[in-house]
Amino acid sequence: MRFACCIIVLALITTFSSKSFAQNNITISGVVKEKDSGDGKAGVTISAGKPPKPIGYSDSEGRFSVVVPVGSELIFSFVGFIPVNRTVTANVTSLEITIEASQNSMQEVVVQGFKSKTRETSSGSSTVISGRAVQNVPVSNVVELLQGKVAGLNVQNNTGSPGSMGTIQLRGLSSNNISADGFLTPTSPLFVIDGVPVDVNTNYEYGFQGGGPGISPLALIPPEDIEQFDVLRDAAATSQYGSRAAYGVIIITTKRGQSKVPIIQYSSNFFMKTPPRLREIVGGREERLNRIRAILDYDTSILSSQALINQTPFLSDSLNPYFNNATNWQDYYFRNTFNQQHNLSIYGGDRTFNYKTNLNYYKEDGIVENTGFKRYSLSMNALYQPTDAFRMVVNLSGSLGQKQNGSGVGLVQTGVAAGSSTSSLLPPPSLFSENNSALATASIVNNNKTTNIASSLDLQYEPISGIRFGNLLSYSFNSGTADRFTPSFLKSGSSEAYNYNDRTYTLYNRSTISLVKTLNDIHNFSGYVFNEINSYGFRASAILLNQTPNDQIQGPLGYNWSATRGGTLNNINDTRQHGYGASFSYNYDRKYILDISYRFDGLSTNGPSQGYSQNPAISVRWNFNKEKFFDNSGWLTYGSLRGSWGRNIKPTGSIFDVFGKYRVGDQYNNNPTVYIDYNIVPNTNFLPETQTQTNGGLEFGLWNNTVEATFETYYRSIDNQVMDIALADINGFNMLKIYAKSLVNYGFEWSTNFRLLKQNKTWQWSVSVNGGLNKDVLTKLPNELRQMTVGINETVNGVTTSVPVVYRIGRNSLSNLMFHTQGIYASTDDVPVNIATGKRLQLGNGTGYYFQGGDPRWTDINGDYVIDENDLLPIGNPQPLVTGGIGSQLSYKGFQLNVNVTYTIARDLLNTALADALKNYTSPTSLNALLPIDNFNYWKPSPSDKGTGTVNAQYPNPYDFRRAGTLMPFRTNQTLFLEDGTYWKINNMVLLYNVNRDVLKRFGMTSCRLSLSANNVYTFSNYSGPDPELVTGLGRDNSGGYPNARSYAVGINIQF
Amino acid sequence: MKNKKIKNSGSITILFLCVVMISISCNKYLPEDRETVGEDSQFTVDMYQPVLGRTTFFTDNFFKGSTSFPASFKIVNPRRRSGEPANELTDVFPVKVWKKAYDGNEKSLAEIEAKREIQNRPIFEMSPHTGALTMWAEARSAYIRSQPDSGYLFDIELSNSGGRRYYRNMKLMPLRERPYEPSNYNPISGQPLSNGVFPSVVSNIKGVATNRYLSFYDVDVYIRKLEGTGVTSNSLSFKFLDTLFNPIDPALFSNTDWPNLVHGFDMKMTATGVTYNVAFPIPLVELPTRYTTPDGRRSKVQFGYSRLGFGGRKEDALLGLDFAIYEPGSWEIVFAFKNENPKFTND
Repeated sequence: MRFACCIIVLALITTFSSKSFAQNNITISGVVKEKDSGDGKAGVTISAGKPPKPIGYSDSEGRFSVVVPVGSELIFSFVGFIPVNRTVTANVTSLEITIEASQNSMQEVVVQGFKSKTRETSSGSSTVISGRAVQNVPVSNVVELLQGKVAGLNVQNNTGSPGSMGTIQLRGLSSNNISADGFLTPTSPLFVIDGVPVDVNTNYEYGFQGGGPGISPLALIPPEDIEQFDVLRDAAATSQYGSRAAYGVIIITTKRGQSKVPIIQYSSNFFMKTPPRLREIVGGREERLNRIRAILDYDTSILSSQALINQTPFLSDSLNPYFNNATNWQDYYFRNTFNQQHNLSIYGGDRTFNYKTNLNYYKEDGIVENTGFKRYSLSMNALYQPTDAFRMVVNLSGSLGQKQNGSGVGLVQTGVAAGSSTSSLLPPPSLFSENNSALATASIVNNNKTTNIASSLDLQYEPISGIRFGNLLSYSFNSGTADRFTPSFLKSGSSEAYNYNDRTYTLYNRSTISLVKTLNDIHNFSGYVFNEINSYGFRASAILLNQTPNDQIQGPLGYNWSATRGGTLNNINDTRQHGYGASFSYNYDRKYILDISYRFDGLSTNGPSQGYSQNPAISVRWNFNKEKFFDNSGWLTYGSLRGSWGRNIKPTGSIFDVFGKYRVGDQYNNNPTVYIDYNIVPNTNFLPETQTQTNGGLEFGLWNNTVEATFETYYRSIDNQVMDIALADINGFNMLKIYAKSLVNYGFEWSTNFRLLKQNKTWQWSVSVNGGLNKDVLTKLPNELRQMTVGINETVNGVTTSVPVVYRIGRNSLSNLMFHTQGIYASTDDVPVNIATGKRLQLGNGTGYYFQGGDPRWTDINGDYVIDENDLLPIGNPQPLVTGGIGSQLSYKGFQLNVNVTYTIARDLLNTALADALKNYTSPTSLNALLPIDNFNYWKPSPSDKGTGTVNAQYPNPYDFRRAGTLMPFRTNQTLFLEDGTYWKINNMVLLYNVNRDVLKRFGMTSCRLSLSANNVYTFSNYSGPDPELVTGLGRDNSGGYPNARSYAVGINIQF
Repeated sequence: MKNKKIKNSGSITILFLCVVMISISCNKYLPEDRETVGEDSQFTVDMYQPVLGRTTFFTDNFFKGSTSFPASFKIVNPRRRSGEPANELTDVFPVKVWKKAYDGNEKSLAEIEAKREIQNRPIFEMSPHTGALTMWAEARSAYIRSQPDSGYLFDIELSNSGGRRYYRNMKLMPLRERPYEPSNYNPISGQPLSNGVFPSVVSNIKGVATNRYLSFYDVDVYIRKLEGTGVTSNSLSFKFLDTLFNPIDPALFSNTDWPNLVHGFDMKMTATGVTYNVAFPIPLVELPTRYTTPDGRRSKVQFGYSRLGFGGRKEDALLGLDFAIYEPGSWEIVFAFKNENPKFTND
């Protein structure tokens, strides 16, 4: 490699030196050093002349040598660094240049719309995150590390399943639609990776609903390859992405070659993942005695209790080896794992031609047995720009993700949850034991793959100065397969083979004509028109074979044809979209900026009577620091005010919702018949979801950017949300899908950055604080309703519980419908009595279940002395009020310590896991796990009178098992289990060390960085459950989630 | 220079405040969070026919629909059918209400009475948040119009933060007092239809004369309130009469669980009858206890004796009555064997 470098440098020297005899030339040599590290900086462009033209580059050690006329001015420049000018004098032939990274965020290049601009002239709201922020900490999905980095971007890593993705929301809740099993519709922003749009919401449901591979498309991106993220927040910034941009846009740009000297970079991480602290369980004899005591104390009579114990073999037959155990089930599920990742990238080139190739390998074994994720990826890009008039960029990337889900499906691990809540009295897993979920977790053969090929070609041609033609074509193809084989001993003698495959494609083409004109050096006009074609589709097929010949032959036919299934799944989808638009920008001396854009979109899922959807956007910016009255203010480095208004859409529904679904029926008169599916009425007025957003922002930098701050406020309304409306049975059809729901998010965001120590000290410390306060309000429901209840059937540990969700206008868009628990009745005398009938408060009308001491005190809202569905109230908000993060970067010479903290404040969580654990006590004859109950302040009767007991108990009497079946004192739909989910989390801590350059020289390296990191370090929270982050989008802590692992990594990054 | 600096940082503060104000001012365009009064909400019962002299609690009479709770309910404009206001429904009366739950385990009358108190309430009352209606036991046909009169009309106002709604012309048509059950009074005219009522259980009782098993038709039960001199307290007596209306010694019903026959105290047994001091109504609460039928709606008494029948077989005879008495006073229940006397001797 060094040899190659030398040749190139020599070639350069000879090239440039051959031109330089005519004048009074001088050879200048020297070294360019980077200010932060003091190391030589490779690839710095050295230009001279008027206008400046590149005449040379620094080599891999920062050395350069150029021949120039005396008196000419040399410019040393590098992207992201402040250029340094030096005038050549006759007596100086050696120069040492120190080049410093640009701290002026106004000159940052941001991508808004389809164009890159400096931040100073962009009027939309966006944030740039450097790719460095997500490197050094090995994770399977790079989105995990965006948590707490961007104000208004709420990332909740609510699954630890390798290769999956948590939930991600930009500026609050965008949809309150809920699937029947209790999952909130994902509303992740649109990702655009090197020009290829990736919509992670579509087909996302395969992660938990079916047999899909459960690999998030974002898990296929190697983090090391990422140059920067552009998070576009407001409608003005995203307007050009019109379709599908309603939830925001995140643009991921991968690295480009930018060094004349080819660079080979290798980085590697070795990391260990450890499961979180497992819960304590009562085991063996203690568990048995606990159950027996409960039965003896609380059964209706002593005879009945003895009979019950004798009828329950695992209580009475204590010497039977099958029941005489103390098994710690959790041990069979969780493990520590050792993992690795490797990345090799080769890049180089200059402005006219550059290239990059990146190879990545990542392997992670999940902390749950038989789970894991592997990524193989190869990506490359190249830019060719022989003249200013022509430019071509090609991106190609291929990646393969491989995943094992164990007995679960991606997000949820119900097998583990059910298994680890099994009684310790049962024997450890074996072929002969009753509880097979442990065995299932370990022995289900499960192999899931996702392959992704993405490519894009960006061509630009400028035949006349100022008019530019551009075309971007991208194509992405995703293929997923899942194979699962359940041996017969796990499934009551019926083996099962399940094969699934899907394919997703996205074809995208955009043509633009753009125009740039500057008048009198101060009036800058630019504009473009574009047309866009977008086509994407998804199709999944599955086959389920029941009872294969034996456990070795996994197909091709199942013996039991009646339980065997196969075919294309009904989530098939093929969508077309085409859009036209124009954009116009004007800025006056970079002081007043106006952007207007307008686009209209036609969608195949639009109702034909609704035509094109119109999406206008307008935004302005005022850089007030350029005003005269700030001329003398040394303290204000920059300052600007922004405002924008605009609209975007998001296609929802499918073509079947618009045109109906037609089926092939029986023969009639020997002719085939076709009839309409009577489930959903075609709705030709169907509209896409629309977001209208107003945004205001203030940005300023003070005291030479020692303090930088951005404050934003927004109001976004999401209208036309789809809803199924059940029709009266006289209609013939069952359901109508209409756009009928609206919700509003408004909030305030802040991001500030402080450089706490002077720029030129050896100690450098900067702290950034960002966050967003968001409130959502439901503003419209169908049929003029003000309140609606949506039932949910969540299955937790095999038990279906239901805490419905309430939509109520004027309130946060998701509330739980639940009883309000005001403590526990200390004694039966405390129960209110109906003055007319003399009866105590009762559960349900006429059930005969009267409340007594030790029962939860549920508020009787309507005062009828009956606790029933009329007493349910909409309570709680599962959406956090404030989310954000704090980052600290401290460096001293070659050392750097980065600490990232995130916070989520004011969020109501439903601790279903705790309810579930306590509920186990109410069924002493079931083989479930018992948690040590002494940690809880539960109601205990006084020895003399069972009607009175603990005053101010927090939890009801768990032992009253005869009444518990009906009363359900540990039901989840009560505020007893609604807790504040506020947490502060130390996300990660990274210690970096840049090895001294002089040492490296000996090994032929130009840079070597060692890193030590810990991820998911510690969570501070008052929440009583295991992890306040590991909850569903509805804020429910089902114990079936895949726990987040803590990881420790050692890494190395070498550059040649 | 310094002044200028202050002025400038002032202007940046103003800008900042503007941004904050914009964000706050958005609030007022949003709909407010309020309760709903539903179009589909209805009272499922619009004619209420309580029996006077008993506390009647009408509940579960409102279909909530899309109305959200908490909501307020109010009786508005109670009036007679003729249109004049019915002040007797709105005036407050001293009524006896429960303040603690009766459970059937009380050991004395004082303990029972300690669970009740007198409060002044309208005689026909609506629960403020439920829509449930109560007619208190103190209502009497003396001042409340009862059937065959067409009674009263009233409107109900339902309101909450979402608005208000009126349900008009609900009907209240009380029935005359029937102080005990089973009753031999016509509910509308208030006139007795028969001499007495039938017992609930007549089993294995053999007649002395014919040696046949007696049936319900052989026993009349008279439930009578004793009035006049010497009647002071709330009591309940049981008496048994033979065909000649001579008293039968209650001690002959030797299998009877006398102490727990009714929830009464200070049992006095004589050769002519047995008397308890009791609290009214009987049963006190519609709650299954040891003194009541399984549904708790009636008090249950059973008198039994055993004798050796034909062939030396043991026969357990049983005479029982499920009853309720609503009016306080000194009451007696008389079992009259009108056709044949029961046989207590062995065969």
